[in-house]
Amino acid sequence: MLTRRMFLKGGGVAFFALGVAGNPSFLTRTAEAATGTGASASRKRKVLVTIFQRGAMDGLAAVPPIDDSLKPLRPRLALSAAQGQGATEPGLLDLQTGFGLHPGFAPLLPLWQDRRLAIVHAVGSPDPTRSHFDAQDFMETGTPGRKGTPNGWLNRAVGLLGHDNSPFRAVALTTSLPRSLYGDEPALAVTNLADFRVELPGADRTAAAAGQGFEALYHQTSQGLLRDTGSETFRAVHMLSAAEIQRYQPAAGADYPQTPLGNALRQISILIKSDVGLEVAFAESGGWDTHVQQAGTFNRQAHDLAQAIQAFWTDLGPFQDQVLLTTMTEFGRTVRENGSGGTDHGHGSCLFVLGNQVDGGKVHGNFPGLSTAALYEGRDLPVTTDFRAVFCELAGKHLGIKDDARLFPGWTGRRLPLLKT
Amino acid sequence: MKTVLTALTTVALALCVWGGVMAADEKPSTLHLPWKEAGLTERQAAAHLLNRFAFGPRPGEVDAVVKTGLDRWFERQLGGDLPDGKVEEDLHSLPALHMATAEIVRTYPPTGLVLRQAREAGVLPQDVAPKDLKGDDKKELRQKVLAWAQEQGYHPEKELAGQLMVQKLTRAVESENQLGEVMTDFWFNHFNISLTNGRARPYLLPYERDAIRPYALARFRDLLEATAKSPAMLIYLDNAQSAAPEGATTTMQDEMRRRPVRMGARGGFGGRGGFGGLGKARPQAQAAGKKSPKGLNENYARELMELHTLGVDGGYTQQDVIEVARAFTGWTVLPAGKAREQAENRLAKVQMAGGLGFRSQGEFLFRADQHDAGEKTILGTRFPAGRGIEDGEAVLDLLSAHRATARHIASQLAVRFVSDHPSQGLVDRLTDVYLKTGGDSRRLLIAIAESPEFWSKDAVGAKVKSPFELAASALRATGSRLDDPKATLQWIARMGQPLYAYQAPTGYPDRAEAWVNTGSLLNRMNFGLQLAAGRVKGVDLDLPALDGGHEPESREAALKTYSALLMPGRDLTATLKLLTPMVTDPNLAKKVDKASPKDAGRSAAAGGDADEEVLAGGSEMSATSVKSVKVRGRLGDEPREPVDRRPPTPLEQVVGVILGSPEFQRR
Repeated sequence: MLTRRMFLKGGGVAFFALGVAGNPSFLTRTAEAATGTGASASRKRKVLVTIFQRGAMDGLAAVPPIDDSLKPLRPRLALSAAQGQGATEPGLLDLQTGFGLHPGFAPLLPLWQDRRLAIVHAVGSPDPTRSHFDAQDFMETGTPGRKGTPNGWLNRAVGLLGHDNSPFRAVALTTSLPRSLYGDEPALAVTNLADFRVELPGADRTAAAAGQGFEALYHQTSQGLLRDTGSETFRAVHMLSAAEIQRYQPAAGADYPQTPLGNALRQISILIKSDVGLEVAFAESGGWDTHVQQAGTFNRQAHDLAQAIQAFWTDLGPFQDQVLLTTMTEFGRTVRENGSGGTDHGHGSCLFVLGNQVDGGKVHGNFPGLSTAALYEGRDLPVTTDFRAVFCELAGKHLGIKDDARLFPGWTGRRLPLLKT
Repeated sequence: MKTVLTALTTVALALCVWGGVMAADEKPSTLHLPWKEAGLTERQAAAHLLNRFAFGPRPGEVDAVVKTGLDRWFERQLGGDLPDGKVEEDLHSLPALHMATAEIVRTYPPTGLVLRQAREAGVLPQDVAPKDLKGDDKKELRQKVLAWAQEQGYHPEKELAGQLMVQKLTRAVESENQLGEVMTDFWFNHFNISLTNGRARPYLLPYERDAIRPYALARFRDLLEATAKSPAMLIYLDNAQSAAPEGATTTMQDEMRRRPVRMGARGGFGGRGGFGGLGKARPQAQAAGKKSPKGLNENYARELMELHTLGVDGGYTQQDVIEVARAFTGWTVLPAGKAREQAENRLAKVQMAGGLGFRSQGEFLFRADQHDAGEKTILGTRFPAGRGIEDGEAVLDLLSAHRATARHIASQLAVRFVSDHPSQGLVDRLTDVYLKTGGDSRRLLIAIAESPEFWSKDAVGAKVKSPFELAASALRATGSRLDDPKATLQWIARMGQPLYAYQAPTGYPDRAEAWVNTGSLLNRMNFGLQLAAGRVKGVDLDLPALDGGHEPESREAALKTYSALLMPGRDLTATLKLLTPMVTDPNLAKKVDKASPKDAGRSAAAGGDADEEVLAGGSEMSATSVKSVKVRGRLGDEPREPVDRRPPTPLEQVVGVILGSPEFQRR
């Protein structure tokens, strides 16, 4: 039985015929892998899926203390658990840990109850910047305060893993490569896997012929890099049949929202199931910069994120053990609401971690409370957990990266225990 | 009127060319370009020159360069002042190119600012979030806000980014001063600033226009100072917010001690808020934060040494970073918007009080009240106490004359123009040239062109084109007319180089591995295919015209003829051998000929949508995504015909294959 990985190593042109005709579709292999038969099952790579919430998610709207201590600070915005009873607006969901969950995140509640989902609170960057650009930059390079770092932390992670050269080791479902994936390791930015082919205007069959021609052409060129990348490219094209991608039906009735994030996670799921060597995936969710009339916007954004993650997890089914998902956002928002029914740029926020090995159903980190004395500059949730303490833990325990000092140069902190050992 | 002007331009052009030839005839070139010694033919050498010091040859240009003489062509390029009527005419309709910086900032405000002002003006109700404005039910309100913005003289921010990108591509394709454009591209990337930084964004067009392009062929020291004083750089690397640490003696305090100052002025500058409002995007944040940021910000100091001058192994320490940051305290930007008038009034008062060490120059402002006037030691050199703006300028002197800088710049030029891994010998020689000439770009370029390394067989065709170079060279090679660059810009982004949007101050890496990866390679092939088939909107090309309107008698003939036309001066034996079976593949031929119009239409439509999809999303950066490039009144075009949906002709297929081939990816 030809597995995807053997195919990958087998080299280009000779396998082309198999690629279009005799090769079983990845869905067949999916079934095979799921039942644990076949040689490929044991070689499954661990995958770290990251979602960047751009614009700075309000961690206190997402996961507020359930005791209503937020209410005096946010008279218009704060929700309470009591609202649920008989009120028209849904109220906070009780996480039974002293915290509530914004009702927009309701699709995540079962995962929390299953103890696969954890929350880290008051997390963020030690750098005080309140600029989106700088803070995103610092989080993606993993070097707060240093703008010149040439590579992103996810690219370094892939480098430290040092596995063979699958073109799909690091993939961002974005229009251009995110800062997190800048660096020496090849990384792919693609918004639609179905576009991953030679497109010749005319007919599909013509394009296939042109693709075949280009394949031979690049295979024989004298320039080493163009030749190798060419072979790799066409291997990748064969691995992902556009038709199969278009026909793809999520498993177990998983219901992805028809949004950029839903689409991105759906395609990440395809890559995982195709066993093409994915190790690090990046997706993003925009629209968290809620300065004005936050309530409606936040609810929509939260629901999109939660529904997409929930669908992704359902869709993964037996592949869940391979996968760890984390969200991140550049900073949090002011503890007090502003005059426009929104919140402004703050400091600490929270993030979600999902996986079967996660020490779930808990709010990790150190939440200092909302008394003025506890706040950063009297206005923001402070950062009590450096984001690198979380990312090191995830990359370390899930992907098996041991060298924290190379993953996050200049950082000497300790990992935050989040995964069961 | 226009005709007369054009006629005049033509006459002037002819005169110049004639004059140029005359002058050259009188004074033979002193350059020695050692292509013969390297075993190249003159045509091969001319093509190599055009591939490295220009964005590739245009139809017939290799022969034209041979006729002019390679050395003379290169000298004229070094002059950087060839008449450029076509480009000027094409760029005439881009208003921002002709606006002063302050006017640009005023005309293209960020969307957030417009909405805030609309709220303040009562045009937009307080309870409507920007996101809600997108809804269909809010159409009227949206129109109202837009109309209001128009009344204020505002234009969408994305038009500004659009004009910046359009001018770059237009110049690369059409300008006669190719070397100037190549060097502008090189230096911009060396001093990279990203459109993704919202605060620096409005200053990016003037940055390239005023701080980079005029110095593209100048001395490094002058370029360095132009970037150091540009608002874009001051904002991007945070120097605009860097101030003397609490307790330090400032230049203004020194000045006031030195001479008696009237109380009025003293009162006016007692606080630090006089030029405030900088780097503070939101009034709310300001209200909440109260104070403007104080103290040193080391970002610029660090990148100045690591990226702009000495290089990462340039031998500086963290203490040097701090000392350099101190030297640049007070280097900032005149505020835009409401705070500007206030700042200008204060500056006038300062002038009346004798200056107090303050300086301003365009948008650049040296705030003596924020400059740390204490003594500093930088790279072992003592900077005495009591100086003002001279501190920073002396740092620029020190750094640009440093051997490590010479080596860093030499090495980057060698990588750009010779090969990804230039020899130590070449870098050493260029380093010496830098040191002897005070970092004169022209002399460095001459040294490259006169080096045997540049002409060696290993170097010719060894560089992989960046996506921008690929697109520009493909348009030039096919003699295409660029009517509307938007679609081409989208392709460049798809191929991995969204223009002006590399987020890190390092700039795009200049080596093949950075450009050639699985995703980008497919897009390169597809770009070639689509371009040749006339499916890149806004690009008008006439392939038969390239061969004098002759219809090739067969695919093989087309391949042979057009390979030579599109990649002149190259040894194509191997490429032809590889390409022939591909274009004669019965599959390719038959399938294309049989493709039903219905099929073709659907496929082309899908391709078009994909373009849009690929560039969608990324809301935080929407102002910079190429999808939103919008240019006002571009060349007075009539509405364009929908994209051609017919299947590609055999000639278009052949040319597409050539443009997508490995050989065309190299320069």
